[in-house]
Amino acid sequence: MKNMTSPLSGKPSGSVIGSRIRFALITLFIIAVYYWSVQGMQFEGIQGTAGTVSRSILQGFLHPDWSFVYIAEGEDLLRGLLDTLVISILGTVVAAVVCIPFAFWASTNMSRQLAVSGSGKIVLSVIRVFPEIIVAILFIKAVGPGSFAGVLALGIHSVGMLGKLYAETIESIDRGPQEALIASGANRLQVLRYAVLPQVIPQFLSYSLYRFEINIRSATTLGLVGAGGIGTPLIFALQVRNWNRVGIILLGIIVLIILTDLVSGWVRRRII
Amino acid sequence: MAVLFPITDNAENLPFRNPLQKVGPFMIEFDKVSKVYPNGTVGLRNINLTINEGELVVIVGLSGAGKSTFLRSINRLTDISTGEIRVNGNSVTHASGSQLRHIRRDIGMIFQSFNLIKRSTVMRNVLSGRVGYHSTLRTMLGWFPKEDVDLSLDALQRVNIREKAYIRADQLSGGQQQRVSIARALAQEARVILADEPVASLDPLTTRQVMDDLKRINRDMNITTVINLHFIDLAREYATRIIGLRAGEVVFDGTPAEATDEAFAEIYGRPVLQDELLGGA
Repeated sequence: MKNMTSPLSGKPSGSVIGSRIRFALITLFIIAVYYWSVQGMQFEGIQGTAGTVSRSILQGFLHPDWSFVYIAEGEDLLRGLLDTLVISILGTVVAAVVCIPFAFWASTNMSRQLAVSGSGKIVLSVIRVFPEIIVAILFIKAVGPGSFAGVLALGIHSVGMLGKLYAETIESIDRGPQEALIASGANRLQVLRYAVLPQVIPQFLSYSLYRFEINIRSATTLGLVGAGGIGTPLIFALQVRNWNRVGIILLGIIVLIILTDLVSGWVRRRII
Repeated sequence: MAVLFPITDNAENLPFRNPLQKVGPFMIEFDKVSKVYPNGTVGLRNINLTINEGELVVIVGLSGAGKSTFLRSINRLTDISTGEIRVNGNSVTHASGSQLRHIRRDIGMIFQSFNLIKRSTVMRNVLSGRVGYHSTLRTMLGWFPKEDVDLSLDALQRVNIREKAYIRADQLSGGQQQRVSIARALAQEARVILADEPVASLDPLTTRQVMDDLKRINRDMNITTVINLHFIDLAREYATRIIGLRAGEVVFDGTPAEATDEAFAEIYGRPVLQDELLGGA
């Protein structure tokens, strides 16, 4: 019984008691945090009208307002969805291009000093910190409400994530082709164009499409704060409790997202 | 437009030089060359030698003896610590950025791991050997003149894989990929080919095909060839001159006939082992 050690930790058997104590402490801590959160939330019971409201919401979803799908004068579902699609496409394209220099800045194998890539990584993290809704509200204040604010919000926010993913792609490339190009007398830009880009472009495209799938979801909510797209009619319909209209808008969003996911997923499989 | 999109490069960059028309002998000179790595490892120790035009030099030695350092210092993929290396009379050691790129254009390099862009076509890979001859702008746009395409097809013809020109490099076998990289060096119109363990990841049969290609190119086009090998019998069979390195020092420099088993035992510091012979074929 001398060798009663855990195969993973490799520590002597005395630590079995120690790990039990640790487990108990962690459990206690989690319970305390949970109790504290429940205390913090003010819960004043369910509203008396909850039942009727839920029923009318369900009614609305079951009887969507089909007349809203197309209205000749505009401001209908199709145009709202189109607006959303346009915002996410433009936002993704802006991000996919803007993040390229950031990605080269942040990747460790493109600069000699670690401080260079480190600072690039910090900048990308800072960009990632802000949720797109916050960025959208900031841009609405800067450029006024509408789709343009939405495009900028998605574009800037996506740079954070795409820049990080691009940088990781650049860091994972095979150094050999670069060496071959250098040996043939190519300059730095030519090495970049003929040895680095061919290795990273397919992955860049794939990540951009993936980000586009995320962006189309975000773009549907951007309208809630006034940054254009299908979110705007959705918040209006919600405010006047027009559940039939809410129903048709949500249906439209679901169809749009499924369609874009299918198309983008198919394209991504073809690229890689 | 003429300034923005130069169609022809300037005279010294003339893209289509026949490698057979040369002015004066093309030599590689090592002058008291030493290399000490930052961690204290000695790569090269006081190397003095001259590689003449048209030679097929095989460098032998144990791993860690400095074979790669020797080869990579010729085109300055590795910097040397002291001494000087001259290629065709030009100092590689003291060359500035653009001078160095000009010198490198004359030196093709072949690697153990081929170093091709696997996703690109064979043609694209061979053409990439031409970028040193064109302006940055032109190469950014990917406009290679028709002559470059012809040159690349000829190069592929020389290594017998012309029919593979338009398929992706990763569809080829290892031996074929290595031939693509030889074609890249030929399209580059290199006057020297450096090959760093070119057959180490190939099977014996393919090894001989690749070595035959290198030998034929060396003879037919009079391209000086320097190869790192660890197979002793291959070195004897293909080399016109064998250089043995031990701990960064030249301990043997002679013809294949002089490179007896005893001489190899001296280079290796121990008798020759069976796995240092390719054998057969």
